[in-house]
Amino acid sequence: MNAPQELLRKEDLRLITGHGKFTADWSYDGMCYAYVIRSPYAHGVIKSMDYQDVLRAPGVLKVITSQDVEQAGMKSLPTGATMQNPDGQNQVLAPMPVLATDKVRFVGQPIAMVIANTYEAAKNAAELVQMDIEVLDAVTDFDTACASGAAQLHEQASGNLSLHFVKGDQAATEKAFEQATFISSMGVKSQRLIGSPMELRAVVGKYDPIADRYTIHTPNQGIQGMLGALEHITGIPKAQIDLQTQDVGGSFGIRGGAFSESALILLATKLVNKPVKWTGTRSEIFLSDWHGRGLELNGFIALDAQGKILGLRFENKADLGAYTCYFGSFIGARNISITMNGVYDIPALSMSSELYFTNTVPVSAYRGAGRPDIAYAVERLIDHAAHEHGFDPVELRRKNFIAPHQFPYNNQIGSVYDCGEFDRLLSRALEISQYDQFESRRQQALGHHKLRGIGIAYFIEASAAGTSPKDQVIGQFTQDGGLHMYAVTGASGQGHETSFAQIVHEKTGLQNDQIHYVAGQSDKIMVGSGTGGSRTLYGVGSAVLNLCEQIIEKSMPLAAELFGVTESQLSFVDGTWQVIGTSQILTISQIVQKTYVDGQSHPLNSTGEASSGATFPNGCHIAEVEIDPQTGVTEIVQYTAVDDVGVVISPALVQGQIHGGIVQGIGQAFYEQAIYDASGQLLTGSYMDYAMPKAGCLKHITTEKMEVPTKNNALGSKGVGESGCSGSLPALSNAVINALRPKGITALDMPFTPAKVWQALQASE
Amino acid sequence: MQITVNGQTHDLVVKDNTLLIEVIREQLQLTGTHSGCDTTQCGCCTVLMDQVAVKSCTILARQAQGTSIQTIEGLAQHDHLHPVQEAFSEEHGLQCGYCTPGMIMSTVHLLQRYPAPTDEQIQEGLAGNICRCTGYVNIIKAVKSAAKKIQEAKA
Repeated sequence: MNAPQELLRKEDLRLITGHGKFTADWSYDGMCYAYVIRSPYAHGVIKSMDYQDVLRAPGVLKVITSQDVEQAGMKSLPTGATMQNPDGQNQVLAPMPVLATDKVRFVGQPIAMVIANTYEAAKNAAELVQMDIEVLDAVTDFDTACASGAAQLHEQASGNLSLHFVKGDQAATEKAFEQATFISSMGVKSQRLIGSPMELRAVVGKYDPIADRYTIHTPNQGIQGMLGALEHITGIPKAQIDLQTQDVGGSFGIRGGAFSESALILLATKLVNKPVKWTGTRSEIFLSDWHGRGLELNGFIALDAQGKILGLRFENKADLGAYTCYFGSFIGARNISITMNGVYDIPALSMSSELYFTNTVPVSAYRGAGRPDIAYAVERLIDHAAHEHGFDPVELRRKNFIAPHQFPYNNQIGSVYDCGEFDRLLSRALEISQYDQFESRRQQALGHHKLRGIGIAYFIEASAAGTSPKDQVIGQFTQDGGLHMYAVTGASGQGHETSFAQIVHEKTGLQNDQIHYVAGQSDKIMVGSGTGGSRTLYGVGSAVLNLCEQIIEKSMPLAAELFGVTESQLSFVDGTWQVIGTSQILTISQIVQKTYVDGQSHPLNSTGEASSGATFPNGCHIAEVEIDPQTGVTEIVQYTAVDDVGVVISPALVQGQIHGGIVQGIGQAFYEQAIYDASGQLLTGSYMDYAMPKAGCLKHITTEKMEVPTKNNALGSKGVGESGCSGSLPALSNAVINALRPKGITALDMPFTPAKVWQALQASE
Repeated sequence: MQITVNGQTHDLVVKDNTLLIEVIREQLQLTGTHSGCDTTQCGCCTVLMDQVAVKSCTILARQAQGTSIQTIEGLAQHDHLHPVQEAFSEEHGLQCGYCTPGMIMSTVHLLQRYPAPTDEQIQEGLAGNICRCTGYVNIIKAVKSAAKKIQEAKA
């Protein structure tokens, strides 16, 4: 089917017609199926595992056990960089084994993998396992983990502590608090979440014994992250693994690296010498995809008599889950520190975080990975301080904003904000939301027995510089004049194919349908970061821009030769080479067609590259809610988002990212919470009891962009993927508290479920 | 058993516990219908059974005996996209695209019931479909735009 012209994205035709290819859609002749035997206990000593009945069950080919993993020389899952305690000692790391060996430490931890001819056979056989596990007491949150006499997860981690992270200038901050006229404090919890990409995580693997090569399909955010992790775990050189991914059904940070199942499938396909597929059920995904958030942030703010902020201090706790997975430790440490001053000019900052092991699924990056959490904590604290000490919340913010002339602004804690126009964005958001007329709306709402509240948040977040020193994009022309581009970064809904093509079209004049982007091909050797930290558009997009510049430059002599003129007679206008003063024109596509030599690399083929620094997307979000005191139900009646994401390449896609981010924030604010019981069983183990945002949860939204270009990349763009939830968590929370404050409620933790709000209202009366 | 899928009739051998989604995805290799949960909540597997939106993960294959099933692959006719498909793309009502086939099939049925749906009818009609990417704002726009397209085509 030909794509109608009006389709918005290059990805869309296949996805709206059912021809997308997600991992579970890959199949091979003779393929067999895997099922993972998982720990039913949160904490226990494995006494024995008896697989005899499993092996005797019909259709079973193999049970992969921890002994097989050991024999294959596999390492544990990667842990990321090691951080240091204040005394200089390294943090305690606890890498997760591919399969549990002596102990199990969370419900859902993989213990063995059954391979059988059919999925049903593998699953049925798995039920025949005889487990002898001595169950131990469990700790399921940081409060119980740090209690004296608490169960200990890892011998090396005394008190279940992995890291005591400190940052900033403690002495200067203490002095600021001594000099303060006003001090406020606010503790908030950013509860544990289940990230829940809609695609069920899956792995399909195939081994070719003659070539000694593996093919693997699995969701990822970029080829290098996944291959690097697989090489680390299995010892199989990256060059022997062909990772093929077309469509990824959401990731949000969770699926950037390898899981146990990905490594096990590589082993399984070799051991049984057949292609093997594993597809997790949603229940398994709840117990095995890394979880998100799991933080407690206690903020303290020191103000002078005029409301100027003198100092800010945070004391935090982070729940790592049972093991330190790749991004796990960064979230509650580095990531919540780098923008801890928000958008405010604060002379003294200090932070202390304690990261604890608990008998739960390991926590990793989930949409924002700490940045929404700190934005939430800072903006709740500012609002709270304003009300506590009689400042107007808008004016208190304005008084402390970093002013445009202060950029570049070094926040003394590892971040140099390069630009921002906070006052301008705030003013616009106030205008759109008709903030000054809010009191009359509050009164009107009271008339129909609703408590109306308005909440402001001005967030900033640090989008990533990337894990790689630069990004490369390979551009190769085909005989018909089309351009194929390849880079490391893989999409999971962002629309890389569309945005990169748009950059190429605008710069080179190549037509949209002649431009193709394919992520991560194992036969293409490239440097670059995966999708993550909201950086792909400006990181890889800047490399695409460089590719375009090279193509234009290299096409000039070819154009001159084809026209039979000198280069000085040419100009490149509107995507075509023209002989100045004549009507003779050639497109780049025509130049390629005319100069293409079969079997030879075309001279315009190039590798674009760019190095990009971190960027600081920011924005002002204003939420307005109405609470029904009879039921505790909150309705979001108006939402305004004014965002500075720098130069916008694809406005519709940027707006889509902002919508999606805001609603993931709505999910956290009103619905979602991973709850464990004291024994470590996940009580919210399915969509029956883990509430996801549904259609209509956000009805009235106005988004507007205000572009303040950054100089930290060639495009002038900032990140956008994680902006939405960085703004919505604090805006929504401030709105809910604003609605409840007349009833004497000044603090409440997310999620603001009807039951919790209703109970708070009952208790306040 | 006999089943008609996207206009083609198939004679299939199924077990008592075979699910309709297994027939669609594995026997007929129509992988546009996705599985996203095991509790009938997410709606990624939504197909039309005799023009009614059903969750194919919760229908036994035998229950579909003699019915006519339409999957996402059978929605476009004669090389022309269905107005709901067009609207989802034009309004940016999809990002990763995993929930999209189910979302589109639910919308087709929704618009059969309510040719000019209200916000409440859209909300109710899509209550059984979860999307993690879009925040639903553009999905609701797409439903309204599709309704308009269908009305205009009839006029």
